[in-house]
Amino acid sequence: NKVSSFKIKLENGGFLEGLVRGFKNGISKEDYRHLTQCDTLEDLKLHLQGTGYGHFLANEPSPLTVSVIDEKLREKLVIEFEYIRNHAYKDLATFLDFIKYSYMIDNIILLITGTLHQRQLSELLPKCHPLGIFDQMETVTIASTTADLYNAILVDSPLAPFFKECISEEDLNEMNIEIIRNTLYKAYLEAFYDWCQQKGGATADVMCEILAFEADRRSIIITINSFGTELTKEDRAKLYPRRGKLYPDGLLELSKADEYEAVKRVSELYAEYKPLFDGTGNNPGDKTLEDKFFEHEVTLNVNSFMQQFQYGVFYSYVKLKEQECRNIIWIAECIAQRHRAKIDSYIPIM
Amino acid sequence: MGSLFRSEEMCLAQLYLQSEAAFACVSELGELGLAQFRDLNPDVNAFQRKFVNEVRRCDDMERKLRFLEKEVKKDNLAIDDTGENPPAPLPREMIDMENKFDKLETEMKSVNSNQEALKKNFLELTELKHILRKTQQFFEQAALYQQDQETHVPQQYDDETPLIASEFSRSFNRFGFVAGVLMRDKISAFERVIWRACRGNVFLRYTEIEAELEDPHTGDKVNKYVFIVFFQGDQLKSRIKKICTGFRATLYPCPETPQERREIALGVMTRIEDLQTVLNQTADHRRMVLSQVALNIRVWLIKVRKIKAIYHTLNLFNKCLIAECWCPVVDIDRIQLALRRGTELSGSSVPSIMQQMQTKENPPTYNQTDKFTSGFQAIIDAFGVSNYREVNPAPFTIITFPFLFAVMFGDMGHGLLMFLFALYLVLKENRYMKHKPEDEIFKMMFDGRYLILLMGLFSIYTGFLYNECFSRSINIFGTSWNVRAMNFTDNDVFLATNPVVTLDPNKPGVFRGYPYFYGIDPIWQSAENKITVQNSYKMKNAVLMGFAQMIFGLSLAFCNRRHFKDKLTLYCELLPQLLFLCALIGYLCMCILYKWSVWTVAQSNTAPSLLIGLIDMYMLTDPKSNNRVPLYTGQYQVQIFLVIVTVLCVPWMFLSKPYILYKRSKQKKGVQHNRLWYTCLDSQSDDDVAILHHENNDANYGKQEPESLLIIMLISQFDMSEVIIYQAIHTIEFCLSCISHTASYLRLWALSLAHSELSEVLWSMVMHTGLATSGTSGAILSFFVFWFFSSLTVSILLVMEGLSAFLHAIRLHWVEFQSKFYKGEGYIFSPFSFTLI
Repeated sequence: NKVSSFKIKLENGGFLEGLVRGFKNGISKEDYRHLTQCDTLEDLKLHLQGTGYGHFLANEPSPLTVSVIDEKLREKLVIEFEYIRNHAYKDLATFLDFIKYSYMIDNIILLITGTLHQRQLSELLPKCHPLGIFDQMETVTIASTTADLYNAILVDSPLAPFFKECISEEDLNEMNIEIIRNTLYKAYLEAFYDWCQQKGGATADVMCEILAFEADRRSIIITINSFGTELTKEDRAKLYPRRGKLYPDGLLELSKADEYEAVKRVSELYAEYKPLFDGTGNNPGDKTLEDKFFEHEVTLNVNSFMQQFQYGVFYSYVKLKEQECRNIIWIAECIAQRHRAKIDSYIPIM
Repeated sequence: MGSLFRSEEMCLAQLYLQSEAAFACVSELGELGLAQFRDLNPDVNAFQRKFVNEVRRCDDMERKLRFLEKEVKKDNLAIDDTGENPPAPLPREMIDMENKFDKLETEMKSVNSNQEALKKNFLELTELKHILRKTQQFFEQAALYQQDQETHVPQQYDDETPLIASEFSRSFNRFGFVAGVLMRDKISAFERVIWRACRGNVFLRYTEIEAELEDPHTGDKVNKYVFIVFFQGDQLKSRIKKICTGFRATLYPCPETPQERREIALGVMTRIEDLQTVLNQTADHRRMVLSQVALNIRVWLIKVRKIKAIYHTLNLFNKCLIAECWCPVVDIDRIQLALRRGTELSGSSVPSIMQQMQTKENPPTYNQTDKFTSGFQAIIDAFGVSNYREVNPAPFTIITFPFLFAVMFGDMGHGLLMFLFALYLVLKENRYMKHKPEDEIFKMMFDGRYLILLMGLFSIYTGFLYNECFSRSINIFGTSWNVRAMNFTDNDVFLATNPVVTLDPNKPGVFRGYPYFYGIDPIWQSAENKITVQNSYKMKNAVLMGFAQMIFGLSLAFCNRRHFKDKLTLYCELLPQLLFLCALIGYLCMCILYKWSVWTVAQSNTAPSLLIGLIDMYMLTDPKSNNRVPLYTGQYQVQIFLVIVTVLCVPWMFLSKPYILYKRSKQKKGVQHNRLWYTCLDSQSDDDVAILHHENNDANYGKQEPESLLIIMLISQFDMSEVIIYQAIHTIEFCLSCISHTASYLRLWALSLAHSELSEVLWSMVMHTGLATSGTSGAILSFFVFWFFSSLTVSILLVMEGLSAFLHAIRLHWVEFQSKFYKGEGYIFSPFSFTLI
């Protein structure tokens, strides 16, 4: 009965999957090499015209700035994504919405932090990611406590289910916001992971792998960043997403860690993460742990394109495109600031 | 003008251009469109080339023009298209153009921003107007309600009147309120958030603005709602205001008393009127600027694109502006003339030099076509672009393609329809050339209009031969058969019992002795065995035509071999191939013709079967030994000889060429070893001699140096196994294809049969029923049946059948015909030309 199952799969997202595979082709290794040789942003623009990005900068007057490039790159991604989202239905639509939720979380946190620092809404809005915009988003500034935030605004938004764990009557402050962000993310990752698992098939195979890594990365980063802050170990343990490979033993160990070496020791027990910690350091020439994580993420996402008829490609497509945009922006920044020494430390996409 | 038989002779030329004249020269060459420039710095990045700044400036100009074009289109102004083709302006004019476009752009932008500001103002005022009007309604309703309640005591609360409303209406003076305008799609979310955030302590009313408003920034029409929120206390007020900003609602001050509201409303109305006049004036100004732009924008765009193309081409040149290009040998004079014109135009005193170069590279294939031949050339190029100077099958295709098509599509009526359709396209050609048709399918038909024209013409011709017009026969010259000569009487028992009679041509007078003057006798139309007879004819015809075309293909291969002076292949491959084909299929064809012309009706009972004869030939059996009548005397001996020839041809094809190549390479190796050894000796013993030798070589062979010679020798080492495998494949392929290709030509018969049967069915099932009914009802029925019949004829017989016959004709050309001689591994000549951009 392979034919009929093939048909069903094709009907739900076959066309879009093909589209995404087409969108994925952006910049080759060769192109990166050429890009790094550019002297000005105009050169960069000229060269990008020859790649999959085409004429996306053609209507921009010179002189070009990095922010314009950034904006246009993002706009292109958003247009492509929205096109796919508008053609998706049923499960695929839910899946694509899940991708959007992470941007919504980022946007909310950005707005709350901004308001705490007495920034104007008009100043903050352009910084929000267009994929994460929803109706009630801009009203989050009126909330002063998390309960307020939930009851007044977020209860109608798609993020409501993730918010259950962080409702409290405390005022919003910097520490609180970080905790909210991480709790939200934790709930989001767990929900996403469970959804994919329940979906089953190749989607589960690919996505659980990626999301598990994402969860572990967050746990590790949270732990490392918590050193020297007021965050207690118990509170910290509550922020770990419980879906990764580290769960449950690794997370237990992580929650006890006091220093970087301890984190490293825990992670090295896992075959996947050991190579990431090897050779990292803060010396010039060394890659940071963050870069290593990014590289691993890219590998996972590229691998997701090896399988057909699964939703992982959509997630990977968004993540890879984002990485590619980051790379272009990195190169553009290096060119604009005449800081060529570090121009090669982008993260290549194989 | 060159002929289509072979592609144009090309040469590689080097151009030495003066830096000041280069632009003008390339511009002239672009107008001419006869030179294909080669990229001389392929490993240089796009942004590291010489004229990258100019290209960028052109890009910028193009961007400005695109902006202006967009504005023109937004105002629905028609862009002036005079069809004029301006020459590329000189580089010094570029600055003027840049300035002009820059000025226009800034002017346009300032007009736009002005207009936007005005529109925004206008929008605000209209919104305020609507707010005043709508809130008036709210307040009036409230007042009415109050009166209502005062009269209806004791009051009753039903579900539809909310508690708050009634409380509010009693004492609404104590409440503060905020009024504003909000996008329609946000209103429900807004209502919910406001309810939750204020814990239900507010009262919200909203209503839709009926008129659509214009968004000043994008110019889109949007629908909005007027809302009014009542609340108590300052804290709530600030909270509501925050929510309003969050939803991007615009708030307007709204006075509390009706009098003040009326006054403001009046003020707003007058201001709106003032603004309207100002807006009209700006729109007029904008229109004026844009109409100027619309007049010129097409010419500007062409100019800018030309400049850009020229700089792109200049970027292909090397640093000292030396260019290499392929060009047809016959057009060298025109190119040189263009160069001279360019030099004069730029005012440079030093002429540009053009020099031919020797090269080992394969030149591009350039077939000059006109509107008639381009369709046929396209069919050939779709299979593969011919090698340089190889025989081009296109000129033969002009006749053979429509002919083979018509053999499969033979019907006068259908051919005539097709011909008329193509004739219409040809006659209206100028109109369609100017306004390129949008529809892709129609465009394809239009491009092949001459092909269709010939196809229709040939179909009429074969239709005459088949004597078929919409499957009916026409009796023009009078049939050769005579039924009366069979001597049936009026009340013959035989006639009464048998619905079918057999006409015996052996009876005197039944067949008049010579056939119908042209084509097939119309009497077959009513014969029972029509299909059987026609099948025999058509099948044999198909074999004859197939053989003729394949032999023709082989003779073209002879032309190729002689042109490329490849005697080895000619004698070791082509000759045995020709013999093989003639002995195998040619003999069969001969038998067919012989039997047709020599054997008569009287002998038809004893006539030998060709098929059995062919089988006997390869079984090497004498027809006499099986008591069969021989086709002609001495048949056995001739056949034995032909079989021997056929069998001998196979090893000839297979072995002779590899053997000779092997011999040659052995000889060459000996000579090369000797020469190499001497060169080494030379350089060791006396350096001067070596240098002299070196220089000599340089002078003689141009670029070819001794070192490179050595390398070439090493590379072209002879690989015996490869040659043998290659030859084996070719031999097997040819031998098999002789049979299979001949069989493949039988599709001519099969499709022709299908076509005539289908049209027959359509006639007898549809048209015949209409015509068979008599009286008034028959006339009406015929009328409707005709529509049905004609639409089916066009859709099934003309379009579908025509398409299938077309595809089969293409296949016969690509596979059966071209495989005999055509390599098709060249690449097409794509000159730098302004008409293509």
